[in-house]
Amino acid sequence: MRALKGLLGIEVGLPKFKLSTNNKYVIRVNKSVKQLRPYIVSFVASRKENLTNEDIKELIAMQEDLHNGVGRHRRKASIGIHNLDKIQFPLTYTTTEKNFSFVPLDRQNEYTMKQILDELDSGKEYGFILKDAERYPIIIDSNNIVLSFPPIVNSNTTRLGADIKNILVEVTAINKHTAEDTIAIIAINLFDAGFKIHPVIIDYTKPRNKELTPNMKPKIMQIDAGYINQVLGMNLTSQEISLCLKRSRLGSSLEPLKRARLKCSIPRYRTDIYNQIDIVEEAAIGYGIFNLQPSMPCSKASGTKSEITKLLNAIREILIGMGLVEIINFSLVSKKVQFELVGAESNIKNAISVDETKSNEYEVLRDTLIPSLLQTLSHNVHEEYPQKLFEIGKVFQTSDSLDEHWNVGVVIAHNSANYTGAKSTMQEIINGCFGPKYASAISTPAVYNGMFMDGRCANIDFNEMNIGIMGEISPLTVQNFKLRVPVAAIELNISSFLEK
Amino acid sequence: MVKGLKSLIHPVILQLMQDRESQLHPIEKSLLKTLASNRPMSVENLSELTGLNVDQVRRGIEWLKYKGLISVNAKSITKISIGKNGLYALENRFPERRLVELVKQGFNTMQKLSNVGVFHDNNESTAAFRHAVYLNKWLHQSPPSKPGDDATLVTLPGSDEASPEEALLMKIHMASAMSQDQVSSLSQEELRALNSLKNRHFIVEHTDKVSEIILSDKGRRLLTLLKLDNERLQDEAEQHLVNQLTPQLIASGRWKDVRFSPLDVEAPTTSLHAGKKHPLQNLIDEIKEVFIGMGFLEIDGPLIQSSFWNFDVLFTPQDHPAREMQDTFYIPQTYQTIPTKDRNIIDSVSRVHKKGWHYEWDPEESKRTVLRTHTTPVTLRYLSSNKTADAKLFTVGKVFRNEKASYKHLVEFNQIEGIVTGNSVTLRDLMGLQMEFYSKLGINKVKFWPTFFPYTEPSLQSMIFNESLGKWVELFGMGVFRPEVTEPLGIRNPVLAWGGGIERIAMLRFGLNDVRDLYSNNLGWLRSVPRYQS
Repeated sequence: MRALKGLLGIEVGLPKFKLSTNNKYVIRVNKSVKQLRPYIVSFVASRKENLTNEDIKELIAMQEDLHNGVGRHRRKASIGIHNLDKIQFPLTYTTTEKNFSFVPLDRQNEYTMKQILDELDSGKEYGFILKDAERYPIIIDSNNIVLSFPPIVNSNTTRLGADIKNILVEVTAINKHTAEDTIAIIAINLFDAGFKIHPVIIDYTKPRNKELTPNMKPKIMQIDAGYINQVLGMNLTSQEISLCLKRSRLGSSLEPLKRARLKCSIPRYRTDIYNQIDIVEEAAIGYGIFNLQPSMPCSKASGTKSEITKLLNAIREILIGMGLVEIINFSLVSKKVQFELVGAESNIKNAISVDETKSNEYEVLRDTLIPSLLQTLSHNVHEEYPQKLFEIGKVFQTSDSLDEHWNVGVVIAHNSANYTGAKSTMQEIINGCFGPKYASAISTPAVYNGMFMDGRCANIDFNEMNIGIMGEISPLTVQNFKLRVPVAAIELNISSFLEK
Repeated sequence: MVKGLKSLIHPVILQLMQDRESQLHPIEKSLLKTLASNRPMSVENLSELTGLNVDQVRRGIEWLKYKGLISVNAKSITKISIGKNGLYALENRFPERRLVELVKQGFNTMQKLSNVGVFHDNNESTAAFRHAVYLNKWLHQSPPSKPGDDATLVTLPGSDEASPEEALLMKIHMASAMSQDQVSSLSQEELRALNSLKNRHFIVEHTDKVSEIILSDKGRRLLTLLKLDNERLQDEAEQHLVNQLTPQLIASGRWKDVRFSPLDVEAPTTSLHAGKKHPLQNLIDEIKEVFIGMGFLEIDGPLIQSSFWNFDVLFTPQDHPAREMQDTFYIPQTYQTIPTKDRNIIDSVSRVHKKGWHYEWDPEESKRTVLRTHTTPVTLRYLSSNKTADAKLFTVGKVFRNEKASYKHLVEFNQIEGIVTGNSVTLRDLMGLQMEFYSKLGINKVKFWPTFFPYTEPSLQSMIFNESLGKWVELFGMGVFRPEVTEPLGIRNPVLAWGGGIERIAMLRFGLNDVRDLYSNNLGWLRSVPRYQS
């Protein structure tokens, strides 16, 4: 709303904000919170009309947004909003024993702090924040009535209701900056909703260390008009830029002596503005993105494909020329398809798995392509044969370090698919892409591999270095994938050719 | 000369073979065979000879005419048939015949005859006298023996024979009609009789319009060629009918002596499937072409990245929600050291994090291994190590998100990223590049919207209008990299960047409602997606 008024030109410049001169509210801070959650900021808000249920819903929504965003799931900052009329000042922000008890929000009975962490949902969710604490933070009033157990739960006594005109907002945080960011955002929103904002004095007990919160003093930043013009590609005068910034609800004035330099005041709640570049964006929005005319940079650069793209395209072309259809599967696969169904259980221990996946379809990074290709055949048993498929994809291995490289996998499935067909195809990939010189450096010594039929499987060696495998898929594997025709398969490391 | 002719004719025949053979309908074949006699035929003739009904014949004729294999001549045919007077004469005999009969019965004078009353009027009696006495010479009129008496009629020997008129009328009657052709074959005498019958209105002439169908030269050539002629076909069947031309037949030259059996060229055949690129790969290639056409250099890099390059360098604070495990895939094996040769980069990154986000930056956190969540670690690392003042780069590749796959979200998808750096590049340039990029992909309605990305400022969201959905669709995000990103990497000039997932474009292009369909590898779909889409 504030922003919209500015962009429409109804109200420009720094939005109005007034803090009352009332200074009777005090929160004392006990030094025991220092190791735990050292900062607290607060204000009191009051108005003539009662809070409506709608107001309360909005307040809670804002509180949740701030908890999850700036507050980082309450770790950095958490917010409590209370019924002021139930509270006797001064308040104290201190710590307490783990067996201290009070009635938490939405409960009838008292719970000890420990019970709250072990039994209540919010305790289980946010308890980690206090996991090494010996005492727990607490806010109490002068009658020892509990307001809050930050950052876990408020007390039931000071809960909000629909018949309330006066509220207390407090934010506890692990750093001052976050505390101030958070409270400033809440303060401006309540001010806009018609509340009077009364400051709260935070008394850190040392005589000199008293603070009036919320700190709503605008930040002052200086910026050159030239810089803004340069980033945006514009040629605006300082006055024009100043107007744009005011439309974005910043304060802006020209420096008296250096007209090309602007002095900007940034409202305290605009926590997204902390670098000059952020002011440039405000200027762009104030000017109107729609009003910016697209332009083209001049450049003499000529475009080029990467070497790997050229190589992969060559291989693709050869395979398509032999009538193969390209498929694309995911790099993340299930252990079942990648290892169990192809008789490679012994490789599971070398698999690169990902943490906390949401589905067992995406458990490990695949180390070979053939299992995914077999699965594709398995999904297509009702389609016409012959089925000749290939996939070009990254595979991942771990030895000393994590390695990823490009492989090509081929499966050929029809009534008479066999080793010879696979070998011819492999030879044509090498010959077609790299020429006879490379093809003649290929040897195919027999090898045993559980996925393939014994005696019908060979390594593909290039100058005696292994770069792949091929053969007839074993009947057991064929059956595991519910296939009804023989399958011949090839897998080749393509990246190895880039290095040659 | 002969050779020259051959080479002239041959292609024509070949053409005929190719054009016509496969297109002949059984009706057409049947008609052509019948017309092989070279006699002009009417529709009725053809219907009778082929056993086809008249409608079928008419249709066949239209097809053949259109192909130029027959010519159809519309002819008017004049026919002669018996008129009303003729029918009366047939029934009651000619008047002159009746006169002769009466004379034979003794009514041999005018007096006697007038009392019989066999002629219904004077005209008829006059005609009877004229024909019997003067023209046919059947009767002789002997002068009266005494004056005042009637002349006496006497039959002559020829009176027992039929007159040419009688004969001709009977002939026409038997044939029910006489054509012009038949008329032309009549004798002089018959022609005279015909004229007489005509004059006496015994016969009438009328004109019919009929179609006369004959083979055209082209049709004749084709027929010869296709051996549709019945006799010859049979001969050949008895000779050597061969199904397949074989290398042996070619080598031995025996192909000259054999005939090849015609095939049912309209019969369905087994389907054949071409090898094909994956449709998504086509789109990726197309996008690469667009980048290259705009002068961009392609770079690529690993999918496995350190948190340092994936997040820290991008000014993403270490406690940012995007870095949490529920959004990002981490791999347990961590990096031993932060992967950069330039120690200063680490220090600078640490400094901007501390300044911007107010926390102690932890080098251990940045050694964690992630599956890249975007392609930016690749582009930024390139810019950082190449220190080029000007560059236009792009990269296309897989990125990962730890999400639950749904109809609109994938765990793994392809992202593109375009980068332009130079000492005077601006936000307006970024917008212009974007318009150009979209227009080369055939997208012309584009608008921009301010948005927020943690590592670019200013940041814009582009939206394109999709005609088939009839609505604006969010596509690529873009922005200028923040100084907190570029400065620690030693990049001095502004860096413009745009990018995003391309599966959404693929869905729009291939009309898919579920993004997972792109990776389901349904062979039926892969085989059916047209390779060329304008």
